[in-house]
Amino acid sequence: MDSALAGIRVIELGQDIAGGYCGKLLAGYGAEVITVEAPGGGGRVRREGPFANEAAPGETGAMHLYLDTGKQSITLDVESVTGTTLLARLLEHADALVVDGPHLWLDDLGLDYESRREQFPKLVTTLVSTFGQSGPYADYSSTNLTAFAAGGQMAMTGEPDREPLKNGGYQSEYQAGLNAFTATLAGLWAADDTGDGDEIDIAAMEVMAATLEASLNTYCYLQLSALGKRRGNIMSSVIGLYPCEDGYLGVHAMPRNWPALARLIGGDEMANDERFQSQAARLQNEDELRATLYAWAGETTKREAYAQAGKLRAPVAYVHDMQDLYDSPQLAARDYFDTLEHPLAGTLRYPGAPAGMSETPWESKRAPLLGEHNAAVYKGLLGLTDADLAVLRGEGVI
Amino acid sequence: MKLPLEGIRIADLTAVWAGPYATRLLGDLGAEVIKVESPQHPDLLRALGFQPAGTPNAWNRAAYFNHNNRNKFGCALDLASDAGRETFLKLVPKCDIVIENFRADVLDTLRLGYEELKKVREDIILISMPGHGKDGPERDYVAYGTNVEQLAGLVSLSGYLDGPPQKSGISYGDPVAGTIAAGAAIMGLMARKRTGKGQYIELSQREGLTSLIGEQVLGYDISGQIPERLGNRHPFYAPHGCYPAAGDDRWITIACRDDDEFQVLCTLIDRPDLAIDDRFATSPARHANQDALDREISVWTRQHDREEIFELLAQNGVPAAPVWNYADLYSNEHLRARGFFEQVWHRDAGTWEMEHPVYRFTERPARIRMNAPAFAEHNDYVFRDLIGLSAEEVAQLEEAGVTARIPNMSSHQ
Repeated sequence: MDSALAGIRVIELGQDIAGGYCGKLLAGYGAEVITVEAPGGGGRVRREGPFANEAAPGETGAMHLYLDTGKQSITLDVESVTGTTLLARLLEHADALVVDGPHLWLDDLGLDYESRREQFPKLVTTLVSTFGQSGPYADYSSTNLTAFAAGGQMAMTGEPDREPLKNGGYQSEYQAGLNAFTATLAGLWAADDTGDGDEIDIAAMEVMAATLEASLNTYCYLQLSALGKRRGNIMSSVIGLYPCEDGYLGVHAMPRNWPALARLIGGDEMANDERFQSQAARLQNEDELRATLYAWAGETTKREAYAQAGKLRAPVAYVHDMQDLYDSPQLAARDYFDTLEHPLAGTLRYPGAPAGMSETPWESKRAPLLGEHNAAVYKGLLGLTDADLAVLRGEGVI
Repeated sequence: MKLPLEGIRIADLTAVWAGPYATRLLGDLGAEVIKVESPQHPDLLRALGFQPAGTPNAWNRAAYFNHNNRNKFGCALDLASDAGRETFLKLVPKCDIVIENFRADVLDTLRLGYEELKKVREDIILISMPGHGKDGPERDYVAYGTNVEQLAGLVSLSGYLDGPPQKSGISYGDPVAGTIAAGAAIMGLMARKRTGKGQYIELSQREGLTSLIGEQVLGYDISGQIPERLGNRHPFYAPHGCYPAAGDDRWITIACRDDDEFQVLCTLIDRPDLAIDDRFATSPARHANQDALDREISVWTRQHDREEIFELLAQNGVPAAPVWNYADLYSNEHLRARGFFEQVWHRDAGTWEMEHPVYRFTERPARIRMNAPAFAEHNDYVFRDLIGLSAEEVAQLEEAGVTARIPNMSSHQ
């Protein structure tokens, strides 16, 4: 079958999570993505464990195996004179360039905006960062944690009487990378249409500030400050997380879901209980309802409650841990995981397509070894010879 | 230069947040989005406007709705009626993309599934974004915003040290699914341009979100160890935390990725003794002695204003940022300097500022071209100009309740 991005070539520069995730998605949907790695050991994503093979950590860390699926890897010291020249030659063959690196890095490499426009008029460059390419913080240092704080999502996460909390993994970097992906596609579409490339500035801070549910928008309009406070795990009795025998249950009921939820937690008796009949009554008897939910959850197991909720169409799910994901009958029935074999990491199960496409499906391939595609790219694409490669290797350029 | 998606028309059947966020992004990119709302069950966000009882046209004044539906046209149409369905099927041939986020079984029940749409437009791209996907044993289970992140595995990873799993502050699965859907829509267009064929795109929201914790899932397959909840800490960076600053509920995050950054931090906070302390001199030592290190750093942060700490550290190479909330962001100098807030005018809601499009193209700068539609605002444009119905035919639809000028808000009370 055809793939959505067949014929698109992307150069990825920076070897970090946001750019890496953007490149992973482009590769999964069929683009030829060449990740440019630092000679010697690559970048940050190759250093994060756990490692599938302790003898080859740089090739078998979970972060690299996951983020680099389907890519080609070349090594190149882009900051050397020869390296910069080779990078520019690569860009002649590229449709898009994704950069996740220091502010003004491309300018420092002699590839500022004007010279890119001139040399590669059709190239789409996506620059992904925490603060963006302009504004007073453009040069400031940041990480996933500090970006999460700056973007406004952290202030809303955690318990009201404790410090604000980062959520799991690397969500500000992933959000930036996901948005870089969608924006790059829009850029490619436009460039194909008009022959004109572009440069796209994606700032994690803005991406997050634009998605603060009802808080920022309501504040913009009404200067209303009641929304968006840290409220922990219980937003209201019927929107919250409750401990059960072997885990945690998440309830999220809108007014029209009350009858189904009531039947789940207390049968017809609960459904007919006048204390909870209307939204207003539930609000009035909030404490009792909360107590009822705690008591109900405490006496059930996560799978039992979830199956029963599904039958009754009550909005209750359970907190899936990593094992629950692999055990999920739903994910198994949909064949969600991609089983990939890697010469040094062995066979592992990878989370699969973020979206299914009927005519141009996602296809996952294993992550490349460091510099695995040096010969294919430098010789095949740029026409260098074995002798050239030997010199470059000797000089530490590749 | 024209906007990237100018010339693309999208019929948008989505409501609440995930779907409308997808079409907000696509509208910001220049697509013509036509939001189709049910007169009987208008978009829930219209009811979440915090308007005093009796406010005229309150449904047009909800900021939560108006921010997520800018750059869209709006019409009212009851797809569950035969006439509504037929009218919609007249709109589909004028559209490149149809997008919906109903529960998995609804579109087929309405007889508006992919095969039906194909009959009226062979190369249509249909995007569905149900919580669990269109098949599998859990496909009909109800899952709202907070459930999606529980099912995706994210919530199990979030939480204070030794504490329970913790929900995200927002219904995080929604904007994530919306952003994936917007990307998938563009890929559908790219494939169609090459092959001439449309397709069916199906996004399970929980699966989409699991993609954003992929390294944790894979890490578990490698190690067999369920990841520990680390609060604000990191598996090997230290310091890495959220520290109290001067003032009430004022916090500053600080992270050092290596020894160099830590040395600079020690100099900046005037604690050279920490830099040579055996407990903190190397990355592994700092990680092992984080409790003690965090106490030392907190002593200093408590005495300083969070913005002052931010300027001092982040400007000098040490990652740091205050924990800003929505109100802080509204007046934030950086966002203001980048023009992040753009003034808009709405016929019922008046004048205020909302977020600028977040994809900043240099050659194709976007802006808010039109405000969110008042309920049924573009009925005439859609039914008469696009579909070609006569004034009498539109009046008949209105009489039959298939369309309306005023929404029935009672289902959201």
